[in-house]
Amino acid sequence: MTQSSLPRPKSEISLTVNGKPETVHAYPMERLLDVLRNELGLTGTKEGCGEGECGSCSVLIDDTLVNSCLVPVLQASGTCIVTIEGLASDGNLQSLQQAFLDCGGAQCGICTPGMILAAHHLLIKSPQPSLEEIREGLSGNLCRCTGYAQIIEAVAEAARRGAAA
Amino acid sequence: MKNHPIVGASVPRMEGRGKVTGQACYVDDMTLPGMLFGATVRSGIPRGKIKRINFDPGINWNEFVIVTCRDIPGANCIALIEDDQPCLADGSVNHPEEPILLLAHPDRHLLPKAVEAVSIEYVPLPAVFNIEESESLSQIIWGADNLFKSYLIEKGDVDIAWRTADHIVEAEYSTGAQEQLYIENNGMIAVFDSQQGLTVWGSLQCPYYVHKALMKLFALPADRVRVVQMETGGAFGGKEEYPSMIAAHAALLAKKSGKPVKIIYDRMEDMAATTKRHPSRTRIRAAVSKDGKLIAGEIDFTLDGGAYKTLSPVVLSRGAIHAGGAYFWPSARIRARAIATNAPPHGAFRGFGAPQSLFALERHMDRIAQVVGLSPVEIRRRNLLRPGQTTITGQIIREQIDLPKLLDRALNLSSYHAKKETFAKTNPSGCIKKGIGIAAFLHGAGFTGAGETYLGSVVGLEACADGRVRILVSSTEFGQGTNTVLCQIAAEALGLRYEDVSIARPDTRQVPNSGPTVASRTVMVVGKLVQSAAAGIKKTLEASAMLGESYSPEEFRAACSAYVAQHGQFRSFAHYQQPDDVVWDEEKYRGSAYAAFAWAVYVAEVSVDLTTYSITVDDFVAFQEVGKVLHPVLAAGQIIGGIAQAIGFALYEKVVWNQGRMQNGQMTNYIMPTSADLSAIRVYFEELGNVHGAYGAKGIGELPMDGPAPAIVNAIEDALRVPFNSIPLLPEDIFAALAASARTDEAFPAARGER
Amino acid sequence: MRSHPVDYELVAHGTLPAVLSLLAREPGAWLPIAGGTDVMVQFAAGKLPARKLVSIWNLPELRRFDVTPDEIQIGAGCTYTDLRQNECVFREFPLLSRAARWTGGIANQNRGTIGGNIVNASPAADSLPALLVYEADLLLISSHGERRLPYANFHLDYRRTQLAPDELIRAVCLKRHFSTYLPYARKVGARNAQAIAKVCLAALGRFSAGRVEDVRLALGSVAPVPLRLLETERFLKGKQIDPHCIHAAKLIVAAEIRPISDIRSTAQYRTAVAANLVAEFLGQLRALSAPGEKKNIRLEKWNAERAEDAAQSILPCCGSKAWARGMTARRPILDEASLLAASDDVWNALSESDWLEAFRSHPRIGESHPPAHASTQSAAWSGEEQGKAALAEEAVRLALAEANRAYERRFHRTFIVCASGISASEILAILLRRLQNEDSTELREAAGQQRKIAQIRLKKWLSS
Repeated sequence: MTQSSLPRPKSEISLTVNGKPETVHAYPMERLLDVLRNELGLTGTKEGCGEGECGSCSVLIDDTLVNSCLVPVLQASGTCIVTIEGLASDGNLQSLQQAFLDCGGAQCGICTPGMILAAHHLLIKSPQPSLEEIREGLSGNLCRCTGYAQIIEAVAEAARRGAAA
Repeated sequence: MKNHPIVGASVPRMEGRGKVTGQACYVDDMTLPGMLFGATVRSGIPRGKIKRINFDPGINWNEFVIVTCRDIPGANCIALIEDDQPCLADGSVNHPEEPILLLAHPDRHLLPKAVEAVSIEYVPLPAVFNIEESESLSQIIWGADNLFKSYLIEKGDVDIAWRTADHIVEAEYSTGAQEQLYIENNGMIAVFDSQQGLTVWGSLQCPYYVHKALMKLFALPADRVRVVQMETGGAFGGKEEYPSMIAAHAALLAKKSGKPVKIIYDRMEDMAATTKRHPSRTRIRAAVSKDGKLIAGEIDFTLDGGAYKTLSPVVLSRGAIHAGGAYFWPSARIRARAIATNAPPHGAFRGFGAPQSLFALERHMDRIAQVVGLSPVEIRRRNLLRPGQTTITGQIIREQIDLPKLLDRALNLSSYHAKKETFAKTNPSGCIKKGIGIAAFLHGAGFTGAGETYLGSVVGLEACADGRVRILVSSTEFGQGTNTVLCQIAAEALGLRYEDVSIARPDTRQVPNSGPTVASRTVMVVGKLVQSAAAGIKKTLEASAMLGESYSPEEFRAACSAYVAQHGQFRSFAHYQQPDDVVWDEEKYRGSAYAAFAWAVYVAEVSVDLTTYSITVDDFVAFQEVGKVLHPVLAAGQIIGGIAQAIGFALYEKVVWNQGRMQNGQMTNYIMPTSADLSAIRVYFEELGNVHGAYGAKGIGELPMDGPAPAIVNAIEDALRVPFNSIPLLPEDIFAALAASARTDEAFPAARGER
Repeated sequence: MRSHPVDYELVAHGTLPAVLSLLAREPGAWLPIAGGTDVMVQFAAGKLPARKLVSIWNLPELRRFDVTPDEIQIGAGCTYTDLRQNECVFREFPLLSRAARWTGGIANQNRGTIGGNIVNASPAADSLPALLVYEADLLLISSHGERRLPYANFHLDYRRTQLAPDELIRAVCLKRHFSTYLPYARKVGARNAQAIAKVCLAALGRFSAGRVEDVRLALGSVAPVPLRLLETERFLKGKQIDPHCIHAAKLIVAAEIRPISDIRSTAQYRTAVAANLVAEFLGQLRALSAPGEKKNIRLEKWNAERAEDAAQSILPCCGSKAWARGMTARRPILDEASLLAASDDVWNALSESDWLEAFRSHPRIGESHPPAHASTQSAAWSGEEQGKAALAEEAVRLALAEANRAYERRFHRTFIVCASGISASEILAILLRRLQNEDSTELREAAGQQRKIAQIRLKKWLSS
């Protein structure tokens, strides 16, 4: 129940999430982040700042990296979303995820889903990125634990192992 | 026997898979049926009496659970060292954002408006906002004299030295507040059941701290309070003491409503309301001989503790003990004070007082070098502690540490001399001035003095039916590798494979109190207890003739399994024993402060761009002696991550205060480095072992926080020939100093300001 | 999250006419939202006054580029990523291209739009100074029709613009006549990415007969609106650029701007840095037009080549493909100094494996056969560089060969040294010293030498 005049109805919004068609009942201005986490139970995508600065909420919309805390769910209608849950398949880690494990790219893990999505997006666009390109590709994802070095190594290692999706 | 050692290898992170697949469960990922969401109504003024609380009639308050201090069953305090911090304000407030009342509702989205709809009328009182104002005693805001704690450390006779010294070098330094900025905000879920009692799940470092605080707040016995740690998204000290407060709030709402309650802070609330690193002011006066030897030092070290005592005495203690750094002081006097201001209480943050006092000292060493006419290298070489010498608390350095050699290695790895020569040639004509600076320092691992005895840590190791073993500790994982390293130690100690060991979730119902996960003590102290507990398991199996002297992992598991089948699940416990050679006098504040010191020399190369006055760290060499590297990838990760935070401390992270309230509480305005800001940080280890640590390890989590700031500011002074005594050091400060020095042709005085 | 989504209405009509007719029916009642990188931040903070929003995200009529011989029309719905990827913008409007690169991180560049940046009208916005110096026109559209407005007139005051309540920006129009100007763009923020500008300068300049023929300067974050420095421009027109002129220009800049002190920075700092940026630009302009210096044909040609060809033609200067790609990405590079500086920058940011690739393109010092895969040009240069070494006495040559082998055994790669102008025995001494280095120190020393070699080769390449 709300205190405003009339309770607005929710909308039915259809989108594809990790390859699966979904229909969510949500207010059009609900943040895509909240819909993913609360309606669809996909809690891998995190909220770190709510202002599009930390990148913890990064997902792919139609193969494009975005901060899901800044996307009203209505604008995601009819799109294909990929979250961290959509990367490993049948229990097999993608080589990017494995590289993060091998190189120490994940410490506390809270920035990791967003970081992996950003790296995944980078490697699709640039399968053999230079260090400079990796730094730039991840510059919208904040990590407080690692100082970035082992994350960058993980991405470079994944590129060496041939990580393009 | 296994083929290769586990300790010393970079085994897979225990809980890593969950982290890279998004399966790891943090507190906001958990939902309980019927769960409500909670929010906090906070003080809008720094100090005053609460006159009236008004609830705007536009909100349907019947739908809300409302909790005030009247709802607290036990004592209205967050128990820590002293019980002066209220859980909820009772008639008066002493800092902005102080919690006054709590609201809960099933719809998370309704809470912000409801919080806004509670308006509070105050009778404001005059407040103080910095060290100088508090010291002046124009307002007494805490106790009799605004003083939370003081220490006096004395060694030898300082006063003689002033008469005979060739040089007396005096200066003042200051450091600002710093926000821990874990990417996961504080959060808790609480459930109150009249039979079972209280259970909380949350993002935290120290389950038993929360447990103790909740017992007192609710007047409940130990077995009716349960605290469970969820996967924690970064902490760095910011979740050492603060979680007790948010847990208390969630618990009170849970008790009143009879429903589970979740409180998750958003970034703005977390930044404005929770703890930060203590701002500091250090005055150093050093008596030095003409050949650059330290003769005596008088250090005045003051911390701004915020409005309540919380952990300030302990932060002060560590800062004071580290104030003498890695040098031999024949005599010294350290006066340390933690004083009250009307800001949210300052608290634990990686380094815990040492980054503050070591910043001042390492800057001062460069200043001493200038006065005496020696290089920054030489002044350190002549004064670094040698085995057999004593620290300022009189602790004898027993290990065979060769600090001058550490210094030389760091200089070689950073090409220090070649670069200094090059910069001297290129700087005069360049628009980009380059400099290189050093810091040499130490960090004591474990609780100070008798602290570990006081903690009385207990570690358990459980033998399971399937033959595996499970570690039972209250030590938490929050990225630094607790789970992984403790399992490595247990596996190594028992001759098992790494895969055969697991570690229980820190749940006060399941695990003993192995002490808080702080003070760089986990690997060293708790790890050693894991080793002892492992020995206990081995002994039991050997004694029952189920295991020979040498065996394979499979044989162990079979024996263990058989034992459990016969005798039931069994556990081996190890209890902390203070080593005989670590003796501390709490009254005189003298003796062996720490069981082990890690040592380091850091070298920073910087560029200052005179077009924009911005500073870039172009190269950074971190060389440290750490006893033993138990996990190379994790160890390097700790050092690099700590250096990154310290670079933030030095160059980027400024808390902008207005009347005790943080103004820039957003990620867009509180600046931490991105991947585009940090260049190569090169990490090197030396290993001399440590009898008091598991497999010879010393604590390393906080060490990297101590050195970078002074090394960088030393480098900036090298580049610009203008001294800076205050951090954070922003381009605006560089500009102001250069402009002033151009105007007056004198060195810019120590910057002051609200910190 | 401090707003309740139930309190907000968001509609997405899918076509531009539908949006425009909604705005015409209820002017001022609906807030257009494109990528949301500004609006959603306000929403999450509980600070969005508007309650009704209409989505203009991804409308095909707004998210397009129209290029004619005279001008390019950039749809207001184009994202920063769209701008970065557009060839015409990259080639002819580098100030805008660079501004797009600076804005936020990749995720925000994928959603933020040029139209949103303009309408949000923050004086700190990254792309607005570029639009001022390019003398952009805006096409404003409503259901009544379209009007064309010089962008210079668009901002009235702090966050107040000429946009009528029923209007949208349809496109930004840029005339394609700026390729003869020297472009300069620099943003000063609190960090290298995801930073709001404390000051940013976009500038264009042209020299003729030793004097400033035309100059345009626009600054962000120094006034309530993005500011064109008309007085400074007036002063500079027709002048010779010398230190006296630059100093005088700085003073006029300082007088012309009105920066404030706020949570991010101070007025004094902004003033000083704004003046410094203008001085830096004028210095570059002057360097380009120093008497007697002609435009570098080689460089001009290289700037105009397709990316793959450009990477291929510069590769022999270094041997690392990543270096060649990095250099190519920094075009246009206008002079030798910038080329050499870029080479250092790119080289220093490479990975270890890229460095090793570069090392592998050299023959062993003192030998005459380059590795099979090194290019002919690279081999010829190696020969020249190692010239003196090749003439050494027999004994030194033998010692050098032995030391080389020892080096390769120790470090598993060829010994790299910048050999121009030093004798074989000097090289031998260096090699013997470096044999004592720790691995990581040696790698850095070799990399430093390779960096120098690249510099020498680039100079030769420029005159080839």
